[in-house]
Amino acid sequence: MKMTAPEGLAVWLDRLAQEVNLIAPREIDGVLLYRPVRNSGEIVWEFTRPLLSIKEAFFPATERLLTIEKIGQQIKLTETLPKGEQVIFGVRPCDARGIKMLEALFTDTEPSDPYFTQRRENTTLIGLACRTMGATCFCTSLGGAPDDPGDMDVMLYEVENGFVIQVMTEKGQALLSRFSLETDDISENESEFRASYLCEQAERIVIPEMNAWAVKFDDPYWEQVSERCLSCRICAYVCPTCRCFDVRDEDLLSGNGHNQSERIRCWDSCAREAYRRIAGGHNPRQAKGQRLRNRFLCKFDYYPRQSALGTAACTGCGRCIDACPVNIDITEVMQHIVEVSQ
Amino acid sequence: MYEPRIIGYLCTWCSYTGADTAGIARLKYPANLRAMRVPCSGRVSPELIMRTFDQGADGVLVLACHIGECHYDSGNHRTAKRLPVLQTLMAFTGLEPERLRLDWVSASEGERFARIVNEFTEAVRALGPCHWRQKENWVRYLDLQTKTIEILPSEVGG
Amino acid sequence: MSYTYEIQTKARSLLESKQVDCVIGYEIGPRGRTRPAFIYQPEEVERLVWNQACTHNLTIYLKEQLDPQQSGRLKTKEQTPRHAAVVVKACDSRAVNVLLAENHFGREQLHVIGVVCDGIHEGAGEVGNQRSVRQFPAADPPQFQARCQRCIERVPVVFDTFIGERPSNQKSGMYENVLDDLDCLQAMTPTERTDFWLSQFDRCIRCYACRQACPMCSCPTCLYERDDSLWVGMGIGLNEKRTFHLGRAFHLAGRCIGCDECERVCPMDIPISLLNRRLIQEVETVFGYRAGMAQVPPPFVTVLSDR
Repeated sequence: MKMTAPEGLAVWLDRLAQEVNLIAPREIDGVLLYRPVRNSGEIVWEFTRPLLSIKEAFFPATERLLTIEKIGQQIKLTETLPKGEQVIFGVRPCDARGIKMLEALFTDTEPSDPYFTQRRENTTLIGLACRTMGATCFCTSLGGAPDDPGDMDVMLYEVENGFVIQVMTEKGQALLSRFSLETDDISENESEFRASYLCEQAERIVIPEMNAWAVKFDDPYWEQVSERCLSCRICAYVCPTCRCFDVRDEDLLSGNGHNQSERIRCWDSCAREAYRRIAGGHNPRQAKGQRLRNRFLCKFDYYPRQSALGTAACTGCGRCIDACPVNIDITEVMQHIVEVSQ
Repeated sequence: MYEPRIIGYLCTWCSYTGADTAGIARLKYPANLRAMRVPCSGRVSPELIMRTFDQGADGVLVLACHIGECHYDSGNHRTAKRLPVLQTLMAFTGLEPERLRLDWVSASEGERFARIVNEFTEAVRALGPCHWRQKENWVRYLDLQTKTIEILPSEVGG
Repeated sequence: MSYTYEIQTKARSLLESKQVDCVIGYEIGPRGRTRPAFIYQPEEVERLVWNQACTHNLTIYLKEQLDPQQSGRLKTKEQTPRHAAVVVKACDSRAVNVLLAENHFGREQLHVIGVVCDGIHEGAGEVGNQRSVRQFPAADPPQFQARCQRCIERVPVVFDTFIGERPSNQKSGMYENVLDDLDCLQAMTPTERTDFWLSQFDRCIRCYACRQACPMCSCPTCLYERDDSLWVGMGIGLNEKRTFHLGRAFHLAGRCIGCDECERVCPMDIPISLLNRRLIQEVETVFGYRAGMAQVPPPFVTVLSDR
């Protein structure tokens, strides 16, 4: 493990911003988001976590899949795959874990999604360990940690006079070879350093195991807790692992006389009332309680059953708790399931 | 050369007929106007007007019956109240209010129709192209590379 | 006697006498956040509280509680509560009037517990330091929410139970801004205004929390969420977002009561209440009509008066 001074890191980031698309936490009109930065001065260093996760950089809110053109009798399809390199700086371990979970579905499960996969291949993750856990964070309860480097390409730990750097993957090594960074060795080895990197950890909460959820399918609790739900989509959109999307063909206004349309996909959420409405008008999740129940079962039952990772699709980042306008709290729901399972 | 694209919403009973009257009298008015016939000006809703601007119109002209002459009694009353407020709202968000105009034309007022269309077209021409619609290709972080994958003969008649 | 105690007492008596099936009020959650509560049993009224973090407009829940057609709930239509009590502040009570004027439910189904609110704190309903303060120019950082500072009515305009004391300096009148944000925007050029709004809507993720938090936004299928993309595309793009927000603001003209809940729930701190407040100003100036003061239809659905 090596160490670098803050000034050296800033200069390095400036160079990076010139050559590749550098994405880092930035304040836009007072809101903290991962956005492209032009230099290191735009980066915010003190934060718990940005409002949206880095999911946006791999699975954007709206994405064009292909364009469809009708030219006379022929139909021309043009695939629009992403290209270009991006480096995301300041990634929290919970966000990187979320990308791992998305990868298990988008990339590792056949048929794999070329758009997500292409973006994932073109991206290097530079993590920044948390010094303290936020009031709503619970990553440690789900097998993560505020300083977990496992899903990063390069990991940074802020220390008194700089940053300790840990290269985790070949991709990370390649980035540091391409853009050299002045570093000094540190005296401790990895295990010593990790042990000494104190981070106040929150008390762990009990996560109900996978089989505990479906048996409570008919529990009236779902209706009770969902009564205040607004059926907005905030929880799904801020979540690092929520991944539902809608696909539609829409007209493109082009002046060249060709009949053009594009196929786009964009974020969707099972919380909205019409999500599961099918042709004919039947809606098996008409009630808010049914939709809320689905959200939790999807995370803690369906995903572990269906994905090779086998873990719950929750990273414990706590964004949903902060963002919900009516304080529907995932930790309260889990506590209830634990209580009624005993 | 910029030619303004004007969309006109003309109500069936008065202003559309007024446009016909202008045509019969061979009155000249600019060809920039694309007339859309609606049953009543009261049908013209904010989402219709905003969709029109979203699709690239430079100006929208709504011509209604004079108050008291609406075929449906009070449809134009609603328009009279709603459209100025819509104008305020769109001006508040950056659209020049001169691009949206509400006026009154009866079935026999061919000259009035031609005059209004002339005036409006010139006013919109003076304002220049409308910058309301934003070009969107969904790119936020990465550029797009395109790859043509198929050309299929269409089985549906062209 | 504190308001909390009075609300609990009233709720208990309403539930015990079966005058209502449900009392919609506020409670405090385990993390200390005030949030909406639905009380069905007299034994549970102790959950109800009143404090200066009671920011939510509880009238948004009235339709689904009282209208069996709307009942998209696990209960069957027969079990849908037909009578409910709701705790309202002055602003919320005006929403009750608008909903009654639009025949969403009958007056006899509702027991309005009106509270004389002293103002709701800025930051109510939020957890803590995760959000940032809006950057819009304001004279001082206000301790109370902007809507409370410009509140004119102060006491509920419709109620069955009245909790609190009428302030001695009760005002009446039309919308008055306290911040200079509307004036700032009016003073900009059209291009500056376009740039401002596009930069705000750029952050929007079309989560629709603003629409869901509004009691008046209750269309079964929102015009801007149609499956056939008739008025607006599905994508989360600038044109679509702007059209949605402008269209929604227009549909609320003459109905919006200015509770600003839409702005509070926005995860991206977009100042969308600017749109609604501009139209409140416009409607009040042009038509002399203030939404929710009585159960009458708003100006846009009526014919022109003789002038």
